[in-house]
Amino acid sequence: MLEIRVVEPGTIQLTGRLDASQADEAMTALRKLDGPLTVDFVGLDYISSAGLSVIVETYRRLQGAGHAFRLVNMQPRVRNVFKYSGLDRILQIE
Amino acid sequence: MPEGRFPRDIGALPSIFEFVAEFGSSHDIPDDQRYDVELIIEELFTNMVKYSADGAPEISIGLERDRGRLVVTLRDFDVEPFDVTKPSTPGRESGTELPSAGGRGLHLVRQVADELHYEYRDRNSTITVMKRLDS
Repeated sequence: MLEIRVVEPGTIQLTGRLDASQADEAMTALRKLDGPLTVDFVGLDYISSAGLSVIVETYRRLQGAGHAFRLVNMQPRVRNVFKYSGLDRILQIE
Repeated sequence: MPEGRFPRDIGALPSIFEFVAEFGSSHDIPDDQRYDVELIIEELFTNMVKYSADGAPEISIGLERDRGRLVVTLRDFDVEPFDVTKPSTPGRESGTELPSAGGRGLHLVRQVADELHYEYRDRNSTITVMKRLDS
């Protein structure tokens, strides 16, 4: 399961798993957000290509509007998926 | 070899992850490597769901620990061939530096798996993946 929580204005925290069965729900939730955004991955245990697509779409939308988009606190195994896909070279991961 | 049959539906993923977790617990598979196996299976399974919608209602997934490696077998019945071993490096989305989404899942599988084999016979596809286990 996936939980998306707004911890403060401009920061959301992901908990659980962002897989293909959760991607549509995640996309719907993230499309409601606007302005600079920090996504805290501290509670995210798993991500697949479907989850990456949710993050990429959000990045494109917010960056296109001139907003900052940061990803923070990834577990190494989640960060590896970004690395394998090449997205670690494009997205701001801290 | 433990084998499960799962509906050709993305909604089957939680049941598949449960199947992998149970196998991992009973065969002492480290969490990080179980995660890799879940990723491999999700990407291959969702590919079958997306691109072989007219196939048989269920897809078979088998797991086997063979000494120092894990063998994952996905079998898809009554489908057209789709050779997942053919190289495809994701290109770039037009006008951006972003790697394109197309082929991203199979690209991840090739990064994580140690061996990937494909066989097509009598309208059935069989994908076999080897993943080395840390001792």
